[in-house]
Amino acid sequence: MATRAKKHATGKVPAGDLTQRVGVEQIDARGVNVPELLEKLIDAAGAEFTTYYYYTILRMYLAGNEDYKEICEDARLEDRAHFELITPRIYELGGSIPYDIREFADRAGCPDAYLPGTEDGKQAPSADGGGPTAAAILEVLLEAERCAIRTWSEVCDLTFGKDPRTYDMAARILNEEVEHEAWFIELLSKERDGVVRPSGHFRRGTPGEAPYSKNAGFYNP
Amino acid sequence: MWCTVGEHVLGAARRAGVTLPSLCEQGWDLACAVEVIEGRLDHADARRYYAADEEAGFALVCTAKPLTDLRLRTHQSAAMRAHRDRHGLPAPRGT
Repeated sequence: MATRAKKHATGKVPAGDLTQRVGVEQIDARGVNVPELLEKLIDAAGAEFTTYYYYTILRMYLAGNEDYKEICEDARLEDRAHFELITPRIYELGGSIPYDIREFADRAGCPDAYLPGTEDGKQAPSADGGGPTAAAILEVLLEAERCAIRTWSEVCDLTFGKDPRTYDMAARILNEEVEHEAWFIELLSKERDGVVRPSGHFRRGTPGEAPYSKNAGFYNP
Repeated sequence: MWCTVGEHVLGAARRAGVTLPSLCEQGWDLACAVEVIEGRLDHADARRYYAADEEAGFALVCTAKPLTDLRLRTHQSAAMRAHRDRHGLPAPRGT
């Protein structure tokens, strides 16, 4: 009796071929421009990584505003979690992050989140004890989050209905970036303008909890 | 299309109902890159913009303010990235 071929048992990638990935072939067949997506993911990973770095500095200068510092810390750790989430996906798709960290930072899709008063990181802030104001720091944090929201919205658009794995990842990250923006609007509005604009959120259970990007981690859970 | 005093070109475009690509909106990435066919712009608000960009006739409209009347060719991110590559200047690769 003749056996019928199983529908999904064969495809364009020959059996035993290790130079191609069915996981890439399938999203390509559904209309994803994989090389373009990879470039966007690497830019985005660079932005999350540099943001993590610069938030480390920004947080230090929120001294005396311990509530702001805690919230900045959540955003900082969650941006690191995003970097950790994106990077394996880049390799799965056949790409890699740059071998030189300087190249990685230079190609980040969002600006360096420099500490205000440092001339874009070229000098230490004023030594007179004043340092940058909390409002100036919150403005930097807010615009960094907004750039991230635009980035991840674009990745969601590129992958929706075609690449469920990248879409799921981007949507998780986007969820957290939207929350970060809401936090910083609330804090900056009160600090700078004296206007209450509630964020609708309160606090993480633990610092950098990342409820969306780490709640059911598919990498290094 | 008219810009008000101090207004960035991207903001004026939005006010006029013209949708242009943009991403960081801080003059860093190249999503909003244009070719300047005619006119001059103030680029002081951009986070990363080089003299070579201006010499080559590129601008980032998210943070550029008009100094004169302008004629611009939009959707030039790939051309501006190629220009940056030729000059060894940094640029994101995905916009």
